[in-house]
Amino acid sequence: MITFTRMPRIAILSGLLLTVGLISNGCLFAEDAPVNDGQYVAPGGGPPPVAPPLKKGSPLDHLANDPKLATPQVGYKEGNTTGATYWVAHRMIDTDGGEGWGWVRKLDDSWNSGKWIALQETLGLAVAPHRKLAKADADLDWEYKFWGHFVKYKAYDPHLDEQLPVFVLEGYEVIGAAQPLTIKFGPQGRIQHRPSGASSRSGSPILSDPGTGVD
Amino acid sequence: MRLFLALVVAAILGTLSASAQTNEPTSEAIVLTGGPALRFMEHGKGDVSHDVYWFNFVDASVIRLNQLKSEAKPGELITWLIYRPAYAARSKEMGLDLLAQLQAKAKQVGANLHWFDSKEDLIAYLNKGFDRDKVKIVNFDYFGHSNKACFLFDYSNTIDTMSIAWLHVKDLRLIDDDIFAHDATCKSWGCHSGEMYSQWWKSHFDVPMTGAVGKTDFAHGGLPQLSNSDGKWTE
Repeated sequence: MITFTRMPRIAILSGLLLTVGLISNGCLFAEDAPVNDGQYVAPGGGPPPVAPPLKKGSPLDHLANDPKLATPQVGYKEGNTTGATYWVAHRMIDTDGGEGWGWVRKLDDSWNSGKWIALQETLGLAVAPHRKLAKADADLDWEYKFWGHFVKYKAYDPHLDEQLPVFVLEGYEVIGAAQPLTIKFGPQGRIQHRPSGASSRSGSPILSDPGTGVD
Repeated sequence: MRLFLALVVAAILGTLSASAQTNEPTSEAIVLTGGPALRFMEHGKGDVSHDVYWFNFVDASVIRLNQLKSEAKPGELITWLIYRPAYAARSKEMGLDLLAQLQAKAKQVGANLHWFDSKEDLIAYLNKGFDRDKVKIVNFDYFGHSNKACFLFDYSNTIDTMSIAWLHVKDLRLIDDDIFAHDATCKSWGCHSGEMYSQWWKSHFDVPMTGAVGKTDFAHGGLPQLSNSDGKWTE
């Protein structure tokens, strides 16, 4: 049986308490995680370094180096396209300067119940169809089957101070060119003329108005 | 014997408590840093392509943190709030561990690094990171994307040219209006903040926030400068 004299017992107890105290106070300060400096060297006030080399086979590599098409290729598929449920998507360009992608609707619904969306691409699986095109607007009024889902969070479009529902793209198939839609475009707030109160289009006092461009 | 041990324990706890109080800051200076875009999203945008350099906001933040450290009064904690998801995504894109680099930078400058993953995280820290009756915020700097109405912690990182994490002027009401010292210094180094955000800030917190009218430029490697000759800093 192990026995302790009076002083060592106090010393052990003190040590334990000190340890607890140090741990609880340690969270106030910078984290002491292992450091991996990688290839980065701080510029020290000089001009910043350029972008690193492309990773071969990465989404950015494909985007930068794959050949571009003039228009989408009918029947082309990308990502997960095997699910029985898909959305019909109609590409639109927001002539008000917004960055929404276009409309999606459920297969059996009309375009009047469609949603104006922000498109969240899934890099490495399915990216926006226009990434394959020479011009980003070359698929205006083209239609697609979209596989994916809506998420709870919204996207904020800083150019128009608007919030849009987010559709996460997991796969698509090119249907083909379609007639232009005659419905109003934009998120519900714009269609229903509910100004945000903070954009350059609102009546709120703004000292100068160069637009809400981002940098 | 038991009485003696109890007295010793009480004495030790008292000492530790005093020590903890010594480590409790008396005030806090905050640098808030938003995240970079992904190059995938910004590829091919020419002159308006954002964040070719992944640490443009970080390097400027570090310069400011060093300034704050050198000016800090005894008991003043220097806190660095960083929007983590954007740097995690950029890390994945580049194949570098940028989060570890950020931790190393915080350690080097002696800053209290605190990640946040959402607007709610940020607001919770500002309101309750410390007892704000005792630990007021004496300095606030923001480095990141912005427009006149928003701080954009995420921009063109999750969705091309859009944001999924932001602090709109309308969100300021979610932050307690008494977190700042009455003489606190606040500045947004992002674009356009002086055109709207500064006014809403002053109205809510009753402390001024300097912001830019026009764009700011992070590209030269130091603290941001006004991009255009007709730009200005204002409150």
